Amino acid sequence: MAGILKPPGNFALTPHKVSICILVQVYAPPSEISVPFPFSSVSHHNCLGIFLLSLTKACDSIFEPSLDELIAQLREIGGLLNHWLSDHLTRRLSSLASPDDLFNFFNDLRGILGGSDANVVDDDQIVLDPSSAIGMFVRRCLLAFNVMSFEGVCHLLSNIGIYCKESLSDCPPFELSHLDDSSNDPELEYESMELENFVFEKVSQEFEARKLANERVSFHSHAPGALFELVEDTDFPPSSSVEHIDRPREVSPCAPSTSDTLRGTDPPGGTFLRTNWQVQGYLSEQADAIEKHGSSFPLYAFESILKRLQKSAPELHRVHFLRYLNSLYHDDYPGALENLHRYFDYSAGTEGVEFVPAPSGCSGLGRYEIALLNLGMMHFHLGHPKQSLEVLIEAVRVSQQHSDDTCLAYTLAAICNLLSAIGFSNMTGIIGASYWPVAGIGTSSSIQQQLFVLLRRSLKRAESLKLKRLVASIHLEIAKFDLTHVQRPLLSFGPKASTKLRTHPANICKELWTSYHLISDFTDETSIMTTDGAFCTSWLQNLKKPRGSLVFSQENGTRSDSDIFHFSAQPSSIPGSVLHLLGSSYLVRAAAWETYGSAPLARINALVFATCFSDSSSSADAALAYAKLIQYLAVFKGYKEAFAALKIAEEKFLCVSKSIILLVKLQLLHERALHRGHLKLAQQLCDELGVLASPVTGVDMELKTEASLRHAQTLLAANQYDQAAAVAHSLFCMCYKFNMQVQNATVLLLLAEIHKRSGNAVSGIPYALACLSFCQSFNLDLLKASATLTLAELWLSLGPSHAKKALSLIHGAFPILLGHGGLELRSRAFITEAKCYLAEPSFSVSEDPEMVLEPLRQASEELQVLEHHELASEAFYLMAIVYDKLGQLNEREEAAASFKKHITALENPEDKDNPLSNFL
Amino acid sequence: MKAGEKRKEEEMIELEGPLGKSDAVNKENVSLERELSTLRKNGTIDSFCLYVYGLVLKEKGSENLARTVLVESVNSYPWNWSAWSELQSLCTTIETLNSLNLNNHWMKDFFLANTYQELRMHNESLSKYEYLQATFSFSNYIQAQIAKAQYNLREFELVEVIFEELLRNDPYRIEDMDMYSNVLYAKECFSALSYLAHRVFLTDKYRPESCCIIGNYYSLKGQHEKSVIYFRRALKLNKNYLSAWTLMGHEYVEMKNTSAAVDAYRRAVDINPCDYRAWYGLGQAYEMMGMPFYALHYFKKSVFLQPNDSRLWIAMAQCYEAEQLRMLEEAIKCYKRAANCNDREAIALHHLAKLHSELGHNEEAAFYYKKDLDRMEAEEREGPNMVEALMFLAQHCKSKKRFEEAEVYCTRLLDYTGPEKETAERLLRGIRHEKLDVEHFPP
Repeated sequence: MAGILKPPGNFALTPHKVSICILVQVYAPPSEISVPFPFSSVSHHNCLGIFLLSLTKACDSIFEPSLDELIAQLREIGGLLNHWLSDHLTRRLSSLASPDDLFNFFNDLRGILGGSDANVVDDDQIVLDPSSAIGMFVRRCLLAFNVMSFEGVCHLLSNIGIYCKESLSDCPPFELSHLDDSSNDPELEYESMELENFVFEKVSQEFEARKLANERVSFHSHAPGALFELVEDTDFPPSSSVEHIDRPREVSPCAPSTSDTLRGTDPPGGTFLRTNWQVQGYLSEQADAIEKHGSSFPLYAFESILKRLQKSAPELHRVHFLRYLNSLYHDDYPGALENLHRYFDYSAGTEGVEFVPAPSGCSGLGRYEIALLNLGMMHFHLGHPKQSLEVLIEAVRVSQQHSDDTCLAYTLAAICNLLSAIGFSNMTGIIGASYWPVAGIGTSSSIQQQLFVLLRRSLKRAESLKLKRLVASIHLEIAKFDLTHVQRPLLSFGPKASTKLRTHPANICKELWTSYHLISDFTDETSIMTTDGAFCTSWLQNLKKPRGSLVFSQENGTRSDSDIFHFSAQPSSIPGSVLHLLGSSYLVRAAAWETYGSAPLARINALVFATCFSDSSSSADAALAYAKLIQYLAVFKGYKEAFAALKIAEEKFLCVSKSIILLVKLQLLHERALHRGHLKLAQQLCDELGVLASPVTGVDMELKTEASLRHAQTLLAANQYDQAAAVAHSLFCMCYKFNMQVQNATVLLLLAEIHKRSGNAVSGIPYALACLSFCQSFNLDLLKASATLTLAELWLSLGPSHAKKALSLIHGAFPILLGHGGLELRSRAFITEAKCYLAEPSFSVSEDPEMVLEPLRQASEELQVLEHHELASEAFYLMAIVYDKLGQLNEREEAAASFKKHITALENPEDKDNPLSNFL
Repeated sequence: MKAGEKRKEEEMIELEGPLGKSDAVNKENVSLERELSTLRKNGTIDSFCLYVYGLVLKEKGSENLARTVLVESVNSYPWNWSAWSELQSLCTTIETLNSLNLNNHWMKDFFLANTYQELRMHNESLSKYEYLQATFSFSNYIQAQIAKAQYNLREFELVEVIFEELLRNDPYRIEDMDMYSNVLYAKECFSALSYLAHRVFLTDKYRPESCCIIGNYYSLKGQHEKSVIYFRRALKLNKNYLSAWTLMGHEYVEMKNTSAAVDAYRRAVDINPCDYRAWYGLGQAYEMMGMPFYALHYFKKSVFLQPNDSRLWIAMAQCYEAEQLRMLEEAIKCYKRAANCNDREAIALHHLAKLHSELGHNEEAAFYYKKDLDRMEAEEREGPNMVEALMFLAQHCKSKKRFEEAEVYCTRLLDYTGPEKETAERLLRGIRHEKLDVEHFPP
């Protein structure tokens, strides 16, 4: 009862194909001359040949170009000839006025095909090899025409009429009188429709501009106008980009609509049949697009296309799946639920899902475990971890029952994902209560241990099933896990010597490397569903690219990289999912380097991701990479550049709520407010950060930690030590409770800082030491260096007798601080170094002033870039004192003036350029 | 219009493309709409043209305007039932129905009664029809509609009586007879059903209703393959025949072909999303496949549509109770709802008592066992449930030191044979012993 899947052999004659046939006739006329009539040279002739080849390859894509587009394309390749070619084309098309003309046309067409004994051909003669690509195309057309009923011929004829008329109405030069009858007069009702149509085109144009990749655009940019006629009652423009709604309305409907981006639409009346394969290809393409762009994908427009499609193809159940995806990514819970259930009710999980077909046995039963898997992921996506787990456990059970190992492997991987994403909440209750599929794990063991075991088990399972992509992604998951968790032997009791509490960077690198390695030989697992049509269209687009956009590629580095990557990758055409995995491996790498404290390496990995993989990954991931890059800019280059970059990123990614870009913006603003001394603003920003997190305990833990960390910092800056310590303390308790050890180290450092600032150095030292030991076991090098710095500051504040010790601590940490630290950290180190020298009794300024002045100068420069008034004033103060000692009065005055400037700026935060008003 | 529709129908067959159906459209609609809208603006339009205009608008998808136009049409000429039924198909909520500005006319009552039925307001619909029957006392249509309403209220006895009378008045009637066959099926009247099937077969065998009746007959006979054939035939005659899809789903469930059943039910649901039977069937099918959590979604839907049907609540509760889920609290809630809405076989009470005792809520368990016991006594039923209830109550009363009561239950248990009798004897002995203790050493 499942959907009727007809073989891809379906081939319907359309006016577009007839035009290709006409061009083929021009290309290979049944004459005896080597370069036939209209062509001037062999290369010219070949040019048309290549174009035709690409056209025939692309003719399986879903939306065929209109005559206008075809003529525009011809113009690109035709050079001087284009006029002749397009003229010829329209003339031939319009001369097809009766069924008999069509019969004659196809009869003539047969003549250009060579005989089967094509080996005895003259060199000069142009004969189309019947088994070549173009020859095959012509033969398919002939066959399709021969099996066509008379009614079909009539339809084709009328469609050709519409096809020509459509183009003629736009292009007066080619006007032909006898075809131009009534129907073109603009009607009142129609004007509104046109406008809406136009709005969509505009928006989709906007949308396209947002996509870096333009090879994927092909499908939806020339979505037929016919598809949009119905949406009259609904509110049309897409939900997410409110600002774009108004703009197109202001533009008059007769704005330049002939430009290339606003490609012509299918004739509204024409009923072009697509083959099943074409539609499937279109749908899977759209599915990729939805996953990639998330909520910025136009909801209503696509929904209406799908509704139309569903109406005309009730047996094509994949449409329901697309509708499910569409609602899912727009957080429409009821819609997603409804469509998911509908899809699986109809298809029984056997249509279109890109799983390897089940080996045996379960064909009759349907594969509803996939439904469960999908439902579980849906709940996960929409933030219902409890339901999700319940459903996934059911999926495990059902797939075990049906011995569907593949699905089981995927389900286990999904559970791992779930646990690692939300796992730190209080989930043990749920797991303990319900039947837990992984045997051997008592409910007493912590969730991390469960996750650890689950990961290893699913890795083994996936390996034995040879699901390479799954293996690769599990490796990534393991790397992520290792990054944040101390490994201890699972079943070790008593004081064993081997229980070293450490993370192992080497392990992580190994995991990443294995995953990378696996991806490189993905070839035998490419999905069966990747359709010919999709590839050919991108092929056609790429064919044109070297001609059109070589110049452009020199201008824009980012773009050219990806284009070339795609272009050279065309023959093997790497599936999107593999690219996606590769990309995320780079992201994990960046994250690893970030935690280990190598800023340049992290930056490079993020940069690689942003340049090479942002096209193939989801927009959320790309936004993450951009966010990281912006953070680096802020830390190393100051806020001005960071905000400039942020502007670019904001334009690139639609700023939806809770997006990472918004988060980065708040972080940057908060830091800047702290540095400038706008404490009220800082508190406000920090509160805003806090409300982004979900109120459920255990969810969005990172965001919550971040918010309360910043809260404590703000309190510290306001010199409210008690409260700051209280906040930090509760934060520490929370991190401890949820086992977030890496965050714990940061909190300890903050506590040490609080004690230092409150003048209680003795009690601060234990915290700093604890932080150091945490950092050591997690290999957090940069954090360790900054903890060392804090420790040095603490020692220094105990009195001049400890200055030597402090100095040696700082000098030990210098390589990392200067190599990887940000501006603030570096200048703090410089200032502390100078202070150490100054405090040391054996050091005399007058002997070696540069020992002190050089670091201070460096620090003051960097702090000015950072606009950190407090530290900058300190640096200038020290500088002034040193100059005073040296007797250099001019320099002293200068430093003192700078000191005054910074200190007044700090004490009177000007609200004139309130960054909130600019940015929020 | 007509010509355009004809062409569209033809094209639909000619262009039957690879996707099963083509996007053939009536090309005349555009020009028709233009013409009719100018006519309407000029005020020179009659009620029939308004009706056609409404049709065109509905086809186009602009429902609000279509509704207004159709209201205009029926207000100026109320006897055009086609216009009324188009209007009815556009009223999907009670709010839209109430917002219609209709003139008072007896046709309006017919319209309202019909619409109420579609909106599942059966009691309102029934009272409207009964009111109309006073005026049109010999109308078969009204009688059939009353039967339909009663059927939806699950008053099968009444429905049977009405249909018998209807058949006496009009022996060749086929419309609505599938509903009669459903009633006969539910009451397992083999001969009456076969008689009815034979009758409609002689009258017109190529009506979807006839095929459905024959399918019902075979199903009652347990020949599910044959009945599927007849339901298929019914669906070939009318692809949107709701009850045939649902009934076919039931047959597939009987044949253990769950995925086919799911498909059939889903089609029914897509034709009319308010068909609670099909939702229930979907749930059942998934439960059969061992996916109780997934099935819950469907049961929730069906319960939402028919909150007063104890069978649906019980099915849902059983899902929660399934060994894979064991969500007993939720199951108890569902059983409570079931017990509150006229649970004929008193399954819910028994389960409630059992679940409560399982969870250690002894007071509640005793309460429900007692209730169940009372009910069994009232209906004079015996069986293992009775023994279980007596046993629990006896033990419970004993532990609460209500010896008199406990003794009563124990003595009743003595009437049964088997291990219960011995336990009861033991209990009685214990009771007497304790009683003595209490008498001798009052606390």
